[in-house]
Amino acid sequence: MSADEKFDAIIIGAGPAGAACAYVLAREGKSVLMVERGVTAGSKNVTGGRLYTYAMEMVEPGLYKRAPLQRKVVREQIMMLGTKSAVTVDYADFEFGEDVPQSYTVLRAPFDEWFAAEAEAKGAMVATGILVDELLEENGKIVGIKAGEDEMYADVVIAADGVNSLIGQKTGLRSDITPHLVGVGVKEIIELPDDVIAARFNLSGDEGAARLALGCTEGTSGGMFFYTNKGSVSLGIVFNPEQAAKRGKKIQEILQDLKMHPAIAPLIEGGTTAEYGAHLVPEVGLSGMPKKLYRDGLVMVGDAAGFGINTGVIIRGIDLAIVSGLAAANAVIEADGAAAVGPLYEKQLEKLSLMPSMRLFAGWHNILEMPRMFSEYPALANDAMRFMFTVDGKVPARMDKAMLQIVRRHVTFGQLLADGWRGYRAL
Amino acid sequence: MSKILVCYKWVLDEQDIRVNAADASLDSSRAKYKISDYDKNAIEEAVLLQEGQGATVDAVTFGGDAVKQSLKDLLSRGPDKVFYIADPSADKADGYVTAGVIAAAARKTGPYDLIICGEGSADSYNQQVAPRLAANLGLPSITYVQSLKLEGGRVVATRKLGDCTEVVTVEGPAVVSVVPEINKPRIPSLKQVLAAAKKPAEEIKIADLGLSPKQLTAKTVSLTVKGFVMNRKNILFKEPAQADNVAKLVAALAKEGVC
Amino acid sequence: MPGILIFSENNAIALELVTAGLGLKATMNHSLCAVALSEPDAAALAAAGADKVFLLNGQDWPEGCAQPIAELAARELAAVILIGGTARGKDIAAKVACGLDAGLVTEAQTIEIAEDKLQTTRLKYGGLAVACEATGLPAVVTIAPRTFDKAVAGDGQGQVIALDAAAGDPRVKVSDLCPIERHGVDIASAARVVCVGRGLAKQEDLALAEDLAKALSAEIGCTRGIAEDYHWLPVERYIGISGQNIKSELYLSLGVSGQVQHVAGIRDAKVIVAVDTNEKAPIFAAADYGIVGDLYEVAPLITAALKK
Ligand SMILES: Cc1cc2nc3c(=O)[nH]c(=O)nc-3n(C[C@H](O)[C@H](O)[C@H](O)COP(=O)(O)OP(=O)(O)OC[C@H]3O[C@@H](n4cnc5c(N)ncnc54)[C@H](O)[C@@H]3O)c2cc1C
Ligand SMILES: Cc1cc2nc3c(=O)[nH]c(=O)nc-3n(C[C@H](O)[C@H](O)[C@H](O)COP(=O)(O)OP(=O)(O)OC[C@H]3O[C@@H](n4cnc5c(N)ncnc54)[C@H](O)[C@@H]3O)c2cc1C
Ligand SMILES: Nc1ncnc2c1ncn2[C@@H]1O[C@H](COP(=O)(O)O)[C@@H](O)[C@H]1O
Repeated sequence: MSADEKFDAIIIGAGPAGAACAYVLAREGKSVLMVERGVTAGSKNVTGGRLYTYAMEMVEPGLYKRAPLQRKVVREQIMMLGTKSAVTVDYADFEFGEDVPQSYTVLRAPFDEWFAAEAEAKGAMVATGILVDELLEENGKIVGIKAGEDEMYADVVIAADGVNSLIGQKTGLRSDITPHLVGVGVKEIIELPDDVIAARFNLSGDEGAARLALGCTEGTSGGMFFYTNKGSVSLGIVFNPEQAAKRGKKIQEILQDLKMHPAIAPLIEGGTTAEYGAHLVPEVGLSGMPKKLYRDGLVMVGDAAGFGINTGVIIRGIDLAIVSGLAAANAVIEADGAAAVGPLYEKQLEKLSLMPSMRLFAGWHNILEMPRMFSEYPALANDAMRFMFTVDGKVPARMDKAMLQIVRRHVTFGQLLADGWRGYRAL
Repeated sequence: MSKILVCYKWVLDEQDIRVNAADASLDSSRAKYKISDYDKNAIEEAVLLQEGQGATVDAVTFGGDAVKQSLKDLLSRGPDKVFYIADPSADKADGYVTAGVIAAAARKTGPYDLIICGEGSADSYNQQVAPRLAANLGLPSITYVQSLKLEGGRVVATRKLGDCTEVVTVEGPAVVSVVPEINKPRIPSLKQVLAAAKKPAEEIKIADLGLSPKQLTAKTVSLTVKGFVMNRKNILFKEPAQADNVAKLVAALAKEGVC
Repeated sequence: MPGILIFSENNAIALELVTAGLGLKATMNHSLCAVALSEPDAAALAAAGADKVFLLNGQDWPEGCAQPIAELAARELAAVILIGGTARGKDIAAKVACGLDAGLVTEAQTIEIAEDKLQTTRLKYGGLAVACEATGLPAVVTIAPRTFDKAVAGDGQGQVIALDAAAGDPRVKVSDLCPIERHGVDIASAARVVCVGRGLAKQEDLALAEDLAKALSAEIGCTRGIAEDYHWLPVERYIGISGQNIKSELYLSLGVSGQVQHVAGIRDAKVIVAVDTNEKAPIFAAADYGIVGDLYEVAPLITAALKK
């Protein structure tokens, strides 16, 4: 093996987790190789998406300001969809913009390409268009990677290869993914002029809106997301593939139906679909994570490690990927000897508050598992609104009685109690 | 050892260029660049000769500032060295200017035993740079080559013409353009990608080529470029049963009088 | 304003250039000259309307004509040189342009003289766009076969002038001329075309398309990959910017995605029909009628429906 073939670290995958890790390691003078199968970083990636900027600040203060981000999110909107109606909550907080904005909308193709280029500028070697097929193992220790005929060695291999981590499976740290552990996301980027976006979402300048909707997936666990970018909006759904399969609807059909919904259609009217993509999302949070995130010579970061939080109104993954990439980089820098990296990585995950957050949201998945969250309850909210705002000259029913009736129409008290109890326990 | 020069163009990927339906204008704001498709065959052929008989391969490209992005991709495909001429004037260059610039560069970095071009560039498909380059350098050209050999100082090529093939043998150096069927460009391997980072890339300033203003002024200037807008009926038959769709289609075709 | 010179080593194409040249002559008001490689060709060009035909002797490799043509064009003060856009023609045109220090427009679709320049249109970006360009005179232009109709023989009284060409380049030797065999009819002039793309899984499945073609009395065409990568059909069957242009009354595609380079070759078809599993395939935007579906299911259904 020549010196050319040995690195301090090899990172598999140039998503946010890999790029953050490569950036920090290269900046600290480590020799780093990052290998990405896409022709360019980001070319195969799908996300909502929005990026919480705190994660970029942790990597390096001010870094996010150089990034090709879209709009800063000042409007958080939640929608509950009925068949022909919608309840929309619009929370606008204009203070978000003051020092560190909380989140920006983001398009992955330019963002990932930029982040990989930043890592390269710091001295990392970035090889795109290359698929890593195998890990090299010696005496139970991971010592490198194999891509095609080529072998490359490293003290540490970092698996940042995303939700369907082949590498994770090869190491035995992860089992094959099962449908109930992941969600399926499909999304479209629909181009619209900026003035139209601003008018439709009540935005000015570089302000953006993030909207999540429940009730759009016909009772299948999941929800819709809607983000405003520069010159486009991202619209998609994330849902449980197991339940969807039972309902016999194709993914595209569900998205198509959603686009026709009378509360959604006017928002995208006149737009042209520029991109369409489908991808898996780690959905179940803590309980879906592998028991162990490292082996001698290898650590897993980002989606590969199962870092994902979905509260129904917030989808987080990119920020967690970045923080876990940073944690791995810190561990490699601190460690003397490859064997020390894994345990130090786990410590870093605690120190950077990543594991504590995962634990806090551990139970949310159980709430989202309740099918009623996605059909009965949104429908109930819409019926309640209809009752409250109906003036037809007839004597209205008494509020309390009517509400009770509406609730009964959609759920039994037993169900309500059970769901409430489950929700309470989950938190 | 033979010395080969391969010419490649860094072009906008036409798949990313959008036509605005309203005014047929082109929107290339989202378009990425790529190595012109047929030039990948030219590069591969040079590299096959390099592997087969130990030639050295230089590459040259002339383009706007964006050509710098191409160097790593190019070098990972096998050439030993790349020369690039990055100048904003490339946007307005026609075949006359381009061939003049490349010929001047080749005089500086050569002499070469063989110069290989693609059949035509993916954006303008002028199919003229190779024969013009030959004329500029006073060399014979062999265009539309489907198989190629270097035998000592001799270039032996089979050309593919519309209705025949012929073998052209040139004593001494020549400029050839190759058709896509000549080979299948390989996908660079990890080691090739890594090796590319260490190979030399040298900029040649257009001012150092000794070309007169006239030689840098295009003979052909672009007046307008409009997207091709196709006005078709765009009727999709979408019944659940394909038999129904087929029935509707056949009825429509009968009405059009074409079946 | 000085005149026009035309050349093609293929006289059928040279006659098409006469049509184009006569069009220019109307505005340029100057003579139309032609170069021919044989006596009968020269006579045909003169009869069709060329004012002067130079009969070039002594070159057995058409490419060798480039230098004599350039010299002739300079001597006759030709302002526009039209050359037939065959592979040989494009090679010759580039060398003539170099010899004259002139601009060259490849495969112009329209040509006219405006403000003392040659104004042309041609395709760009694989057929995605049409570029209108102006070239100072003298200008060389190649014109693809069948862009203009052949000029008919009339009572042209053009003069035929014999010309001895200089010897060819001693460094170049040409041998082993070998005609390419053609199979079946010319797809470019077929009345109906069934086109297969890479949606077809294997070569045997061509039978499916052949059955449909038979029911429609159509010829089989294909995309470039089918001919050049898979070699399932001869290369002269592929349609598109670098293949054939079709002008049929019906074009029906099976498993063709409709990338611009392909679509550029079907724009003149009267009715375009597409069958593809991918609703987002660009072919549907270029089609009059479309069925989103598996060609293995849909093609036999169409064949059966037609037979009824
Ligand atoms: C529809 C949808 C919406 C989402 N919305 C949001 C959102 O709004 N906000 C948010 O924070 N998160 C969101 N997420 C989650 C977020 O996208 C992921 O958590 C995040 O992308 C994880 O980053 P990563 O770097 O771990 O993995 P990825 O981004 O998946 O990157 C992995 C990289 O590895 C490469 N790779 C894989 N295997 C190999 C191999 N063998 N060899 C070489 N390269 C390989 C891949 O090509 C890819 O580039 C969403 C996800 C989906 C699907
Ligand atoms: C400079 C240049 C010049 C070119 N010139 C030409 C040219 O002249 N002519 C040309 O054709 N190409 C040309 N190309 C190539 C062109 O860009 C496309 O790659 C090519 O046309 C694609 O061929 P295709 O549609 O057969 O294959 P693909 O693009 O792979 O499409 C296959 C289609 O089949 C569909 N499909 C798959 N299975 C089924 C099924 N069971 N039933 C129904 N549908 C199915 C898929 O959805 C897909 O849409 C050129 C490219 C370049 C760069
Ligand atoms: N700007 C350029 N830089 C380098 N090579 C070029 C350039 N333009 C054209 N070529 C070469 O000339 C060939 C024919 O190009 P064209 O005449 O533009 O169709 C291409 O396939 C390249 O090999």
